[in-house]
Amino acid sequence: MTGTRKIRVAVTAAGVLSPLGHTAHDLFEALLEGRSAVGPLTAFEVSGKLHPRAVQLPEEDPERWLQGKNLRPLDRPGRLAAAAARLALGPEDDEEEDELRAQIGLVLGTMFGSVHTVSKFDRRALTHGPQYSKPFDFANSVINAAAGQTAIWHRLAGVNATIGGGAAAGAQALAYGADLIRAGRAEILLAGGAEELCFESFHGFAQAGLSCTNGGVAVPLHARRSGFVPGEGAALLQLESEASATQREVPILGWLAGSGTSFDPSRGQDPDRAADAVRRAVEAALADAETDPEGIDALAVSASGSPAVDRAEARGLGAALRDRAATVPVTAVKGALGEGLGASGAFQATVLLEAFRRHMLPGTVGLDEPESDLPLKQAGVSPREGAFRCGLVTASSWDGNACALVLEAP
Amino acid sequence: MTSGPRIVVTGLGVVTALGADRETFWKNLLEGRSGISEVQSFDTSAYSVHRGGEIHDFEPERHLERLVPERTGRASQLAAAAARGAVEDAGLTSGAPRVPPPERIGVVMGTTSGEPREVERFDDAFVNDDVGAVGAELVERYPNHVIAGHVAAELDLAGPNVMIPTACAAGNYAVAWAYDALRFGRADAMLAGGADAFSRITYTGFARLGAIAPERCQPFDRNRQGMIPGEGAAVLVLETEERARTRGAEIYAEVAGYGLSCDAHHMTAAHPEGEGAARAMVAALAGAGIDPGDVGYVSAHGTGTPTNDKLETIALRRVFGDRTSRVPVSSIKSMLGHTMGAASAIEALVCSLAVRDGRIPPTIDFDEPDPECDLDVVPNEARETPVEWAMNNAYAFGGNNASVLFRRWVA
Repeated sequence: MTGTRKIRVAVTAAGVLSPLGHTAHDLFEALLEGRSAVGPLTAFEVSGKLHPRAVQLPEEDPERWLQGKNLRPLDRPGRLAAAAARLALGPEDDEEEDELRAQIGLVLGTMFGSVHTVSKFDRRALTHGPQYSKPFDFANSVINAAAGQTAIWHRLAGVNATIGGGAAAGAQALAYGADLIRAGRAEILLAGGAEELCFESFHGFAQAGLSCTNGGVAVPLHARRSGFVPGEGAALLQLESEASATQREVPILGWLAGSGTSFDPSRGQDPDRAADAVRRAVEAALADAETDPEGIDALAVSASGSPAVDRAEARGLGAALRDRAATVPVTAVKGALGEGLGASGAFQATVLLEAFRRHMLPGTVGLDEPESDLPLKQAGVSPREGAFRCGLVTASSWDGNACALVLEAP
Repeated sequence: MTSGPRIVVTGLGVVTALGADRETFWKNLLEGRSGISEVQSFDTSAYSVHRGGEIHDFEPERHLERLVPERTGRASQLAAAAARGAVEDAGLTSGAPRVPPPERIGVVMGTTSGEPREVERFDDAFVNDDVGAVGAELVERYPNHVIAGHVAAELDLAGPNVMIPTACAAGNYAVAWAYDALRFGRADAMLAGGADAFSRITYTGFARLGAIAPERCQPFDRNRQGMIPGEGAAVLVLETEERARTRGAEIYAEVAGYGLSCDAHHMTAAHPEGEGAARAMVAALAGAGIDPGDVGYVSAHGTGTPTNDKLETIALRRVFGDRTSRVPVSSIKSMLGHTMGAASAIEALVCSLAVRDGRIPPTIDFDEPDPECDLDVVPNEARETPVEWAMNNAYAFGGNNASVLFRRWVA
């Protein structure tokens, strides 16, 4: 299609509300140092789980980024998203900003939305009667509530969307945001995701056998991995057309050069089809970015410690990158950040963009024994040096979604 | 963006309280039938309202071939049934000539609530101190993306799979996503639609807001009492014109343009001057390259609440000016209730049929005009008149506004 190739999508800011820091720099430094945000679960009680582990944001987050207005209408996912937006946009300054903000859009990825709020609303109606349920909670129960609250908080009146996609939601949000800019629907928007750690999802993951319980190994790509550690956070990248970034004279952190998204119709039941979905997403992203496997310098994968998903992702990358898969350096941020679901895609993208700037790629926390049978051979605890200029973010959910993004250095 | 391939609608599938196939549904709609009834799926004795747009006779096993109903949430069942209908309607079943391979057919769906009955099951156990027995379904069956996933699983589709849960504007968002994806060559065909299941949670919320009408849903009527929650699903098959022609597919309509906007004003109340809604309409018109005067039918959001219908009229007036009272504007929510994330998908289907057949569905139960909603609401009886351009408007909690334009297809 003529015209779309001509609009390049720049990344011009990053809002990172992570358990290891609230700037791209701080998060990156923490990962280089091999620090992990995995710790004991303290935010709520879960019975029957020995030593439950989680990744939790510091207590002062997200509220410390949301001063000066009434916070009561926002539930926690709304606050996480609004805080990440605040970190991307910077402090509110003046009226000139107001005009700019009115054009800024938002594409937010999330797996659960406000499941805790939905459950809370329903439980109160059950125990007290429907007339005593809380309207604020109902307003926040719609899955697009966090995106709506963020738009209200920051007066962002550009195109606004929420995207599901399970664990791949964040990457899909970045792809969707980039396509909106390429299609001329927006000049500037924030894209990424937010996810809250809550009893409902934590308990659900344990019951479903997806999270790592009772002291197992929750390390991506590890030979003895047995599940992930549930996490939380929010991250939004400011995406902007090249023309807008040039006109506004803002620094360009990198380019979102291409994306691909695909699906495994077996929804994770067939390992070959699961890997194939990843392969097709990666190949589509490479084609979209007009590059090839040899052009890829680094991988920021979504591997989390899940036996099946890590394997499917690695096999899919192996099939798509062929010989390059064995030689390209790999980082898996979920070793340190846990399974951040909707937030993960933008965390991975942020780390890759920092890698371009710093010529270093962080190691993967805890990965002292990578599974030898996987096509990715360059994953381990140690950071890697290199002239990284182009890389892949991949996202793979255990129930079928696969998404890949190509990022390029400025 | 006006350059690029034209995007057309080649298949329609629908499951509603007025029919679980396109022909039955369209016939019932044009006859002005009501799909609103007494709520049966849960006990409403503690509520002051008792009416809903439930589908009482849906038999998933009659529609689904791969999915197992006992292991699939209701919204997913409705979505997959509608999707199968659309795919068959489009002649895209495997084995048919020139069907794209599965990895080139994608699915994008919208929803408001995902699968809320799964949360209800969890909560029932929770309040009875029995949470040890439940929880897995919150991960496996509740999250909204499983709806699009189940559609793809039912039909063995391996292309892009996207869920856009932008509440009551979601169906339009799905059509918009598919439109751009096809123009970017990300798929050869896209299923685009929306689905929502009736649920206690949704009903309780709207009841608590005092938003539910006691008897009828009467959009734009002077004495309208509110909305009535419903359920349903609709799926459209979208392709580029070239691919549709190559396949020899029958074309219902063209998707000619869309506009998305955000109020950034209030979570549950629209902007008082209809500013965001107007922006979405204007963007859609600009995308299609037409003037407001060219629009022959507006499928309104028209929920029947005092506020929505008044603000929607204000927004229409901003765009259509003096012509506002002369453009047919009807709301099929008068017949189905508010089917949430399915609504604008069902209405997109209706617009596709309206331009093809030159028929406009009525706003039923319309007794008395409201001077503040001085519109031609096509009261009570369907109208036969050629429609070149139909506009589908949808507005959601969170301030998401979406307008999509459909054009009559001339071969």
